[in-house]
Amino acid sequence: MFVLSGYDYLLVFLLVSALVPLIALGLSAVFRPKIVSAFRKSTYESGIEPRGDSWIQFNIRYYMFALVFVIFDIETVFLYPWAVAFDKVGLLAFIEALIFIAILVIGLVYAWRKGALEWT
Amino acid sequence: MNLGEGVRLVSFGILALIVLGGALGVVLAPSMVHAAFLLGLVFVGMSGLYLLLNADFVAAAQILIYVGAVNVLLLFAIMLVNRRIPDAAAGKRGLRNTIAGFVCLFVFGSLVNGVVRVPWPISTETPIANSTLRIGEQFFSYYLLPFEAVSILLLLALVGAIILARREFVPDRTESGDQPLVLPERPRAEMDETPKLPETTGRR
Repeated sequence: MFVLSGYDYLLVFLLVSALVPLIALGLSAVFRPKIVSAFRKSTYESGIEPRGDSWIQFNIRYYMFALVFVIFDIETVFLYPWAVAFDKVGLLAFIEALIFIAILVIGLVYAWRKGALEWT
Repeated sequence: MNLGEGVRLVSFGILALIVLGGALGVVLAPSMVHAAFLLGLVFVGMSGLYLLLNADFVAAAQILIYVGAVNVLLLFAIMLVNRRIPDAAAGKRGLRNTIAGFVCLFVFGSLVNGVVRVPWPISTETPIANSTLRIGEQFFSYYLLPFEAVSILLLLALVGAIILARREFVPDRTESGDQPLVLPERPRAEMDETPKLPETTGRR
């Protein structure tokens, strides 16, 4: 039995968002001029010619950002039910959530001091 | 929305096709980057399956964490290492694939065996609509200690990740023989000189 409400909008949204790129690509396939030349195969027909491989090696610093992001993303997921049930759970839960956040702020301070959040 | 049984069956079929096809693609795709993107598709399909089971919070968490964070992390790891697989090892690949195939068949067989044998209890209760509220209430009554333990666990993961990813722990000595997985990082002084774009000379 499916009891969730409001998801018919999601279904319509998914259908529309799947149709938009199909329609756009299909229409441009119909209307574009059918000229085949060497310029068609270049990445930008009238721009600066790209050099080298597009799959470059990332700097490890971006990986640090991603790691920190994963941690705080998980924290968000744990705090969301608290926010939804805030009326029901009372003062004790508020204090508990503050402890939860405080422990993670320690981690944020650690990451900050260690320079994991510096861009350059 | 009151979905009929037929609509649910069709959506389940579509989602199962997406998940299974995506998983096959993850295994069979020649490029690791394509495999990682297909893994994202698998996660989205799993989220749809959760939604069909009335678990909207789990579905949202699946999208948020697995697609939004874990998959991005995987892609970063792939682009960080970025090793082109050398063709020199192609001779041994047949034997390797055979062994891996047998192991996978064994795991698949034991999983199917387990699924078939276990008498799955099917609840006849009506599912609850506001599961997020119920999860929040449970977090702060019955599962209070695990909830706080999770924050300690996250803190440990954060500190451990930073310690592991910091530069003084990156190995720079090459062991003899096998090529090490290098995590290259330019020294900070070089970071400032970004490659300059050629000056445009009034050609527009």
